[in-house]
Amino acid sequence: MIGGIPKLMIQGTARWSIGNKVSCPEDDYLNVLFIDKPGSIMKQLYKYYGFSLLTSVLMMLTCGVYGSTAFSTSGESKAVRETISGTVRDSNGLTMPGVTVLLQGTTVGTVTNSSGQYTLQVPGPTGILEFSFIGYVTHEAPFNGSGAINVVLQEDIQGLEEVVVIGYGTQRKTDVTGSVSAISTREFAEQPISRVDQVLQGRAAGVQVTQAGGAPGGDVRVRIRGANSVLGNNDPLYVVDGFVGADFNTVNPNDIESIQVLKDAASTSIYGSRGANGVVIITTKKGMQGIKVTYEGQVNFSEVIKTLDILPAHEFAEIVNQRALGTGTTPPFSDAQIEEYRVNGGTDWQDLVYRKGSGHQQQLTVSGGGGKTTFLISGNFLDQKGIVENTDFKRYILRSNIATQVNENLSLRLNIAGTRLKNHNTGLFGNAGTPIVQAISWAPTTPAYGPDGFPTFVDVTGSVNRNPLDMLYDRQQDQERSTFNAIGGVNYKLPVEGLSLDVQLAINYLNGQNLTLQGQRVSNNNPSASRNTFEQITLQNTNALNYTRTFNEVHSISAVAALETQQFTNNSFSASANNIRFPNQLGYDNIGPNGAAVVGADFQKWTLLSLLGRANYSFMDKYLLTAAVRRDGSSKFLGDNRFSVFPSVAVGWRLSEENFVKNLKVFSDLKIRGSWGMTGSQAIGSYATISRYDVSPVFAFNNTGVVAGIYQGNPGNPNLKWETTKQIDLGIEMEFLEGKIKLEADYFKKSTTDLLLNVAIPRYAGGGNQTRNVGEIENKGFEFSLGGTPFESGDFRWESNFNLSTIRNKVVSLGGLERLGAGTGVGSGMSTTNEFMLIPGEPLGGYWGLNYLGTYKPDEADLAAQQGRFPGDPHYEDLNGDNAITTDDFQIIGRAFPKATGGWNNTFTYKTFTLNVFFQGVGGVDKLNYTRAAALSGSGDARQPTLTEIRDYYRPGNEDSDIPAFSRTYQPYTQSSRFLEKGDYVRLKNVSLSYVLPSALVSNKGAIRLFASATNVWTITEYKGVDPEASNVGSGTDTAMGIDYGAYPNAKTYTLGLNLSF
Amino acid sequence: MKKLSILLISAVISVGTGCSDFLEEDTRALLYGSDVLTTQNGLEAALTGAYRGLGQQWGMGFLHPSANAAILGGDDVTTHPGSNKADWREFDQFNVPATNQRSGAVYNGCYKAIQGANNVINNFDKTVGDKAAIDIIVGEAYFIRAFSYYWLTRFYGEIPLILAEEYSEDLLNIGKSSPEQVYELIVSDLKQAEILLPDAKRDWGRSNKGAAKAFLADVYLTMAGWPLMQTDKYDLAAAKAKEVMDNRALYGFNLLPTFAAVFENDPAVNGTVESIFQINGFAGGNGTANATYGNTTMPGEEGGWDDMFSEINFFNDFPEGPRKTATFRTAFGRPGAVKIPWQNSLTKHPYYQKWYIKGEILTSSISLPSVMMRYAHVLTIYAEAKARGTGGPDQLAYDALNDVRLRGWATGTPPLTMNDGLTPLQFAEEVVQERAWEFACERTRWFDLVRLEKVEEANANKHPDDLTPIGTITKSDYWFPLPYSDTSLNPNL
Repeated sequence: MIGGIPKLMIQGTARWSIGNKVSCPEDDYLNVLFIDKPGSIMKQLYKYYGFSLLTSVLMMLTCGVYGSTAFSTSGESKAVRETISGTVRDSNGLTMPGVTVLLQGTTVGTVTNSSGQYTLQVPGPTGILEFSFIGYVTHEAPFNGSGAINVVLQEDIQGLEEVVVIGYGTQRKTDVTGSVSAISTREFAEQPISRVDQVLQGRAAGVQVTQAGGAPGGDVRVRIRGANSVLGNNDPLYVVDGFVGADFNTVNPNDIESIQVLKDAASTSIYGSRGANGVVIITTKKGMQGIKVTYEGQVNFSEVIKTLDILPAHEFAEIVNQRALGTGTTPPFSDAQIEEYRVNGGTDWQDLVYRKGSGHQQQLTVSGGGGKTTFLISGNFLDQKGIVENTDFKRYILRSNIATQVNENLSLRLNIAGTRLKNHNTGLFGNAGTPIVQAISWAPTTPAYGPDGFPTFVDVTGSVNRNPLDMLYDRQQDQERSTFNAIGGVNYKLPVEGLSLDVQLAINYLNGQNLTLQGQRVSNNNPSASRNTFEQITLQNTNALNYTRTFNEVHSISAVAALETQQFTNNSFSASANNIRFPNQLGYDNIGPNGAAVVGADFQKWTLLSLLGRANYSFMDKYLLTAAVRRDGSSKFLGDNRFSVFPSVAVGWRLSEENFVKNLKVFSDLKIRGSWGMTGSQAIGSYATISRYDVSPVFAFNNTGVVAGIYQGNPGNPNLKWETTKQIDLGIEMEFLEGKIKLEADYFKKSTTDLLLNVAIPRYAGGGNQTRNVGEIENKGFEFSLGGTPFESGDFRWESNFNLSTIRNKVVSLGGLERLGAGTGVGSGMSTTNEFMLIPGEPLGGYWGLNYLGTYKPDEADLAAQQGRFPGDPHYEDLNGDNAITTDDFQIIGRAFPKATGGWNNTFTYKTFTLNVFFQGVGGVDKLNYTRAAALSGSGDARQPTLTEIRDYYRPGNEDSDIPAFSRTYQPYTQSSRFLEKGDYVRLKNVSLSYVLPSALVSNKGAIRLFASATNVWTITEYKGVDPEASNVGSGTDTAMGIDYGAYPNAKTYTLGLNLSF
Repeated sequence: MKKLSILLISAVISVGTGCSDFLEEDTRALLYGSDVLTTQNGLEAALTGAYRGLGQQWGMGFLHPSANAAILGGDDVTTHPGSNKADWREFDQFNVPATNQRSGAVYNGCYKAIQGANNVINNFDKTVGDKAAIDIIVGEAYFIRAFSYYWLTRFYGEIPLILAEEYSEDLLNIGKSSPEQVYELIVSDLKQAEILLPDAKRDWGRSNKGAAKAFLADVYLTMAGWPLMQTDKYDLAAAKAKEVMDNRALYGFNLLPTFAAVFENDPAVNGTVESIFQINGFAGGNGTANATYGNTTMPGEEGGWDDMFSEINFFNDFPEGPRKTATFRTAFGRPGAVKIPWQNSLTKHPYYQKWYIKGEILTSSISLPSVMMRYAHVLTIYAEAKARGTGGPDQLAYDALNDVRLRGWATGTPPLTMNDGLTPLQFAEEVVQERAWEFACERTRWFDLVRLEKVEEANANKHPDDLTPIGTITKSDYWFPLPYSDTSLNPNL
């Protein structure tokens, strides 16, 4: 001991800190062993050493020589009567070295060796052994006589002092003054996770995750505290190991050590102009001393959640005949044909389009280290076949994280990841031209294949569009993304106590290939192919000074100041060819032989120059203050608008440190906190200040080729600037029963001003739109999360985490505009105007349509006649009473943005069995079901109703029906409340069971875990479509989500897996 | 180590200060600014861009069935009473809401073409190059602008009159101009085009001097009727039409010997001498294929879409002859299949053979032109205008009508002569009726009914199997409401 501080023998990397205050006997070493576990044990000891907290690791601290034999502090020698031995493992089945084994009430004990084994000689025949390890629940095992006692230690999350990564630094959870949700890997360890969004869904209050595209590798919408920006992408900012603006698709979830979600402005203002949508900080795993190999393999099987109820062919034929009679045309089906359909059936198009999907994922991680260097190398391969025929996804990720501690002051790190994603036909689900829509539009009476053996070319009864089989097999839409990401850094402790310099460089290279092919049949004999390739290069340099110091043991200061630059370039090249000569042989791979080709190339660049700083001050761990500011300069703007400043301030008060609260003996922890801050959003592309020509138009002056032209594109706006979101947050954190129950609640209010809108330019003025700073939008809501261990007894343990968040979203102003339409293009042929309308006072994502009042009833004949209609025709609300249904009768009929979202995650463990049950749901949301509209009303490409619902159509004797009669005066507004449905759902997102094989079956240091899991197995919803979660509108917009027009549905998935580690 | 820290700190400082132009935008791949049109190539590219508005397959202009849907109020065409044709029916039933999107392609495309034409017209004086070549470019731009406004004002009546090529905020509050103002510009533009354009077209899909004159004649004819009622324009129409007729060899126009030859619809053929102005389609381009042929006008039995077909009375009244044969398709079935007579067909209507592609190819993307005016138009313009103008029809008017009429009617039909005792008005009516037959389903009949205020009359006696108007037809049905997409943005519309 030197001055009361133990000596250290560091076996970890430089990225570490010290755990509990431990004293060792004179001349003994304190062993610090880093353990590959999430969470951490950061206690106050770091103050002794002044190390900065860089990351969260879990350490084991022991005295003496590592893995030593039994100790007895009393030195008393007793008659030895019994010998007890065994192995200690963690819940994953891994052996645990360094676990203290102590005979209760005595000082007789030992420590497990490097294989987790112990042998202890005890003085009496009975007693209780205590197994303890920092960060784990102490386990008591009674014994009676000699023998083996094998123990599984459960991690003690409550006891851990969490450290959270807060952007350009870390902070103890107790010191955090902002609203930050931390998700540790153990929360999703039991689920077959293949992508980051699956981690986020339902696990953090205030985070909404919607798997809008159910295709493998499909589109997902992640929203933190609602949507601020009408124009821009409201996706959160992803920061991976300090690289700002990462693509979460390229992150292997198995590589994740921790995820922190920064929600309030005090947390996100450090990201300035990119912080408004919240920030997701992902930290990848590091290597540990020794060597560890983990392999995990999964296989899965999936199927569509449900299919729509389509009329059998003979009944469909009867309905079509009835409709023909109703509209005065010739019934196309004879009685004989109907009888034949009755006997032989028809075509089940959905059955031809959907299939049983399958997939597998392989993961291998090797991590280790020796001396001063640690490494982690992991590889992942995912191959998933979707539930729609001929759709699949492949992913390859390889990562290498290397760190070295050169000396006590200098450390280096380098993380490199390479990713390749390949989506095959998963993007074909944007509008009516999808196999899913066509599967419910093509007539059940039309045979799938013609006499020539090819898919029937034309459906004379049902859809005017192509055969779904041709859509599936005669075209291709593939996307390939190859990413290389390297982040290197050097950290140097300056010769001033507590001050260090960190310099980091990052390169991100993305090569994208969009490849399409329209074959002979699907293109109507004009086969075409296109290749669009682009490379995006992002360069980042971050130079940070960190300062951490405690004065007089009560004033704790940590501060960071940084200069950051980022530069983005995008080079693209495209070629599309029509009348390609060899569509079947060459596909899109060689488009040289063609009738006509168009090529294009583009270059874009933008830069960001930032200065940022943050200071945290804590007094006696009770009173907490954080202030941060970032100044961003962006090349996207001109003059004074180029620079913007985003400040924030937050305060916290740990009431539980006050005596008057301590005396209550109710709270084990109690903190209130509040924050205010400003952030921006990147809701704007490059060059939006410049009016420029669109160089894409071509025109044919004869029948042999085209000539390229130019016309005016969107007008630029030289006055553009960032839109700014001000946010206040009030939060309270409570812990009861020594952390067995934790409750956290937040209220927030966000106000986005200088709202960027793409204001539509009237067509007479050239059309398109102009980006402008107008208007204001407000999001406010509550977030609750409740977690804890409701029940624990012996080997059984139930952990539960529940979260619920509500959001009120309102357009406050549109800069003088009364309203502003927002369309999708999804409903082409279905919609008659924008499906969404922004109106001050109304929420973002308000559906714009007619209010459907049902059918005109027989006693309403006069009313109907005023509009030239008849009983049985659809009756829409005539808002202005002018006896005509016009645009003046359109109104907000629903909302696409959910009012509430929640999740409930439960983990039951019994010995080495773990059962995970995870529910997730949304409430207060409507969906516009265009799929049903097409299949019920004969709209868009669909000419006849196909759903069984149509059986109930209005006719004499069935006048109660609100399904309109077959008439010539039928006006089927699909954009009406008739096809707007409640989209609320509660879904059993995951249920899984895992089992760690008994140690007897496994070698000493290894472990085998088996698991089985089911996803999306059970959904409670009133929604009539296939999947309430699916939508056609991509995550890039929030004004137009919630439409389902043959969206690729999520699948029910069953997974089996095996995890080996040694 | 001290050295390293100094190195690191100085690196930080240099990155922060060393690049003052770090935030300058790199616009190397952008085309913008006033100098784009200073070259002849730039001006030509801008002109091509303007044409694009007139022909973008599913988006803008006239390669699009939508341009046809909007003229369903004529008595020559109707649509399916059920199926998915609600928005087509709205035109046929005189119940067009502002949200109907079927006329949108014409509206959007014409205005996009106008913007491009304005750009050429307002900036060609800065272009450096061959004056003769520049004149042709500018002449085509004037033609495009006049052509576009002509369609717009006939569809919508009062419309915003835009002469600026650049967007400015003032445009957001612009009011509507009266048809008088719009026609004034159209006439002025066509006169400019008449001067600047060459005698021969540069390409099949462009205009020439003759086309400008022919359209000017058509414009005068329309100005003489509803809504302007400037009857003095009949004389101008006749005079202008006569200029075309007199110089038809110079301009490359003529009547084809048979009506069937006009609608051979062979994608390998670029056009015929009967085409005054056409918007070309090319199936190999990017959105340049023509969708007004094939599927849209074919019956469901043949895999068509039943978008539009003949009204029954119109068909029944249609005079027999080679024209009727070439105009209608009366029995349906794919090649080789048993043909179903139209009376027993699903929709119980005859269809338009005119829009079948040679070889009965079933597609909606073909390299055929949309012919916006035929030489036969010019002949009938002259005949009608002369009849309604000063002095009544002359022998040339009779000849012009007979040229069209005798090609269409059954062999042996006698020509009309001045001895038949027709009053000028009767002769004019005869011409109008002849136009109905000759240009059936060619986007002509509707405009004739409107300018002559005969919409109500033509829709009064429908065959029971045809759709009937919802409510009473009034003058307010002569124009369509401006698209909601624009009226919702500008309260002054």
